[in-house]
Amino acid sequence: MNDARRATIAYDPVLLAAIFGLVGFGLVMVYSSSAITAQDKLGDGFFFLKRQAFAAALGLVAMAVSMKLGYRRMARLAYPLLVIAVILLIAVLIPGIGTKVGGAKRWIRFPGVSIQPAEIAKVAWVVYLSYSLAKKREKVQHFSIGFLPHLGLAGFLVVLCMLEPDFGSSVALLFLMFVMLFAAGAKLSWLVGSVLLAIPFAYTAIATSEYRMKRITAFLDPWANRQGSGYQVAESLMSIGSGGTTGLGLGDGRQKLFFLPEAHTDFIFAIIGEELGLIGVAALIGLYGIVIWRGVRAALNAPEPFGTYLGLGVTALIGFQAVVNMSVAMGLVPTKGLTLPFISYGGSSLIVLMGAAGLLLSISGASDGGKTRARAVKVSRAELSMGGAEVAA
Amino acid sequence: MRDLKNHQPSVDAPTKWMRVRVSLIGFAFVAVLCGIFARAVNLQIHQRDRLQGMARDQYLRDLEIPARRGDIFDRRGTPLAQSVDVDSIWVDPSLFENARDTAKKLSAILGVDQKELLERFTRGRRFAWVKRQVTQTEVEKVKALNLPGFGFAKEPRRFYPQRELAAHVIGLVGTDAHGLDGLELSFEDELSGDTARRASVRDARGRKVLTNGVEDPLSRQGAAVTLTIDRHLQYAAEKALLKAVDDARAVAGMAVVLDPRTGEVLALANAPRFNPNAPQGATADHFRNRAVTDAFEPGSTFKAFVVARALEDKLITEKSTFDCEKGRMAIGKHVIHDTHPSGVLDVRGILQVSSNICAAKIGQKLGRERLVENYQQFGFAERYGLGLPGEAKGVIPFPRAEISLATQSFGQGLTASPLQAAAAFGALANRGVLMKPYLVSKVVDADGLTLLENKPTELRRVVSEKTARTVVEMLESVVEKGGTAPRARMDAYRVSGKTGTAQKADPVARGYSDKHFASFVGMVPAEDPRVVIAIFIDEPKTDIYGGLVAAPAFKEIAEVAMPHLAVPPSRVVPVVEVAAAPKKPEPPVKSPVVAAIERLDELHEADEGSVRVPDLKGQPARAAVTQALTVALEPRLVGSGRVVAQTPAAGTLVEKGARITLELAGNLPSVTR
Repeated sequence: MNDARRATIAYDPVLLAAIFGLVGFGLVMVYSSSAITAQDKLGDGFFFLKRQAFAAALGLVAMAVSMKLGYRRMARLAYPLLVIAVILLIAVLIPGIGTKVGGAKRWIRFPGVSIQPAEIAKVAWVVYLSYSLAKKREKVQHFSIGFLPHLGLAGFLVVLCMLEPDFGSSVALLFLMFVMLFAAGAKLSWLVGSVLLAIPFAYTAIATSEYRMKRITAFLDPWANRQGSGYQVAESLMSIGSGGTTGLGLGDGRQKLFFLPEAHTDFIFAIIGEELGLIGVAALIGLYGIVIWRGVRAALNAPEPFGTYLGLGVTALIGFQAVVNMSVAMGLVPTKGLTLPFISYGGSSLIVLMGAAGLLLSISGASDGGKTRARAVKVSRAELSMGGAEVAA
Repeated sequence: MRDLKNHQPSVDAPTKWMRVRVSLIGFAFVAVLCGIFARAVNLQIHQRDRLQGMARDQYLRDLEIPARRGDIFDRRGTPLAQSVDVDSIWVDPSLFENARDTAKKLSAILGVDQKELLERFTRGRRFAWVKRQVTQTEVEKVKALNLPGFGFAKEPRRFYPQRELAAHVIGLVGTDAHGLDGLELSFEDELSGDTARRASVRDARGRKVLTNGVEDPLSRQGAAVTLTIDRHLQYAAEKALLKAVDDARAVAGMAVVLDPRTGEVLALANAPRFNPNAPQGATADHFRNRAVTDAFEPGSTFKAFVVARALEDKLITEKSTFDCEKGRMAIGKHVIHDTHPSGVLDVRGILQVSSNICAAKIGQKLGRERLVENYQQFGFAERYGLGLPGEAKGVIPFPRAEISLATQSFGQGLTASPLQAAAAFGALANRGVLMKPYLVSKVVDADGLTLLENKPTELRRVVSEKTARTVVEMLESVVEKGGTAPRARMDAYRVSGKTGTAQKADPVARGYSDKHFASFVGMVPAEDPRVVIAIFIDEPKTDIYGGLVAAPAFKEIAEVAMPHLAVPPSRVVPVVEVAAAPKKPEPPVKSPVVAAIERLDELHEADEGSVRVPDLKGQPARAAVTQALTVALEPRLVGSGRVVAQTPAAGTLVEKGARITLELAGNLPSVTR
């Protein structure tokens, strides 16, 4: 029975379909939102589409590999991954290695590809936390064992991110930690207390940085700062509003005509809203809803705590970025600089997230056969009858 | 199942409390997603129009061009107000090598302030107006500079080809092409049409990127307004009125010509007037359309209405006589006077010499209620809704005092506008039926859809046909020998009318000043009136009497109107000298005169005050004369027949009012076509 399970890759088809749906949706929207800019700047309207398609292909490989390896192997990779992430986060800060774009050093550029260490760090952080929490089990409820070391490590990673600076990723790292500690049974008083303690630091971080302060004022009243700090948000709101119920039609959006900067990356949601309307937005939110539903379900059905933590962590990573990105585009939270998972243009983000999705699929397939609709890819007759026996049991 | 777990590296399935917490997190995410969806509904459904409008503003803003303003035509389709395309110059300052230098050069050519130009060029936009609505010469000069980055756009500009003609009726537009006065103001919505968006969508850098098939704004047009005004009669009315005002050294004058059978206003003239093409320098005095907006004490012309009512009510007959008290009659502590002291007069005589005393006596017979009611029946103290801004209503106060009853019987102590006076005489002329006066006959939009159409409207029968005819016939005596207006008499047509010489109220001293208001309202031909012509002269200085000051203008207009409207003469006049007057009446429609006027439309008038001499060779005398008059030339005829020579020659630019000598030959009887 165990041999049979190892030989096949079991997964949740609903989850897989939702992820493929998001990636496909993303490719279409990256092309629609970038074609004019690409034609204008690079002389090739397909430039961004080609690169994103290539990244999606690599992402597919990453996904297949993590499914094939199975999530359990990640427990052993927890420390190496974390070390690699830290090295990359430090490397990106070194002049000559990190590339500065728009005032922030967030990329390490190799010939042909550039990687964003923060994207890798987020997944490495989720894997490490899952491993650590699963290992410590009941001890998590001890302040000095379950809470303090994680908080310390998180602080270290956050400091590295803030040096880039990358406020959005910092918030994501902290959020993931809180979610997972909460699931592991950490006392609510610690979590609330540390959030309260963090407020003065967050305030300082915002108040001492001009661009973060501007983002806050832009968020509070985008129309008052329409030509300045509120420009992006105001343009984004206009795009989404213009779409109405059915949208202007794919490719017919007007705001991507240079009015909306980063139309194909952080603000791609605005173009979706403009071109596909409320129907497109509803479809997108629905796909994320499915991913969260099936992700949480996989976590709940995981056979051991590590799977539960990892499933929850990956789901939370995808859900958090999606929620924050859409909220930013609609003026609900200040600008963060987080991508729309699987949709936004950006190779590192797509490959890493698809790899993480592979882990989630692997968890979905590893759970108790009677409780999930896990399917085997290569099913022999014997396995089929065995599977039937399991269901019957 | 248990054995399966035992094989795993980590032991223990997730505990129950852990499952609860994970589920809680999942629900929290779903709740937040619902919140995001609600926000999307709010933005895309509830705020959609606002946000879409803002987005549209930014990619179409600079390119909004109003539709071409609709034209205004006279009753025969002659344009009185047009929109013509003129060049406007714009630039893309990013293509300049040296903005300061360019600004300097342009400033020298176009007379635009150099600093202001430079400021416009350095705004960072890729589009800036240099100067709008420029002349062809200015365009040539700028093109000759041969600098990069220049563009020339066609923009419609308002042009009044007839210049001063009917300027008060048409009004004028401001620099932003919005109506300021007259019909341009009251028909603003119809004339301006829908503002079009430019045919191209622009990106954030101001470049044209998409052409979305929006129609060309210049091809879009506001509605066309057709008036009942007859350009020819309007010209005659203005000319006669200006002359009358000038001769009398008066402050102002008004003339209304209307067709009593339909209520159509054929001419509406005011003096002083202005040129809407160049309104600079004209004051509020010039702009005032007094004929419609001013109400004043009309004076003796109102006696006609008092007599008509008294006859209608059978209080008097044609044969009734009244003692006119030798020109002096005391009413209480007041005394009323007659200009021409008379003894006993019949009704005709009372009107003929315009006796105030006898009119007061007839008024007393009518009584207060009936007097006021009568005036209201004739359309006074009521707005007709002509469509011009600020139409006056006039006031008919109830005459409590005995003296008020007396004065109101001869048109003092109440107010009326020239339009109302003309319309009321129109009721007498139209056999007792008051027609609603109107000025705008049709408003048709660019798609040919009729937005407004006025047709002759009977308001009410005021007096019987018999009474109306009797009064009109009695009023003929006014222009005969012994009447107050022999100057209004015409040789070929029977004229019926009434003079008025009102004292103007002095607002300071609360009495009557020594300033006067002279008027003559008449109709012609008396046997079947085709036009009512009302002339009002404000504060004449040389003479004060309507019969002297206003009647000649009436006659001048009538003499143009009768042949123009092809009205057969009332009596045969022995032809004295020129064979200009045809023996046979003109065919009723499209006389040669009209044809001549229509041909004139092609002539382009040059600078203000000068006109181009038309080619009159080969034309019959009458057509030639009319044509010369229309372009403000004074014709002098030598000989008879058709024009064989003319000085100055056709095409010469001469001053308005210059003399043109026409040599006629071939005195053939076949002058009609």
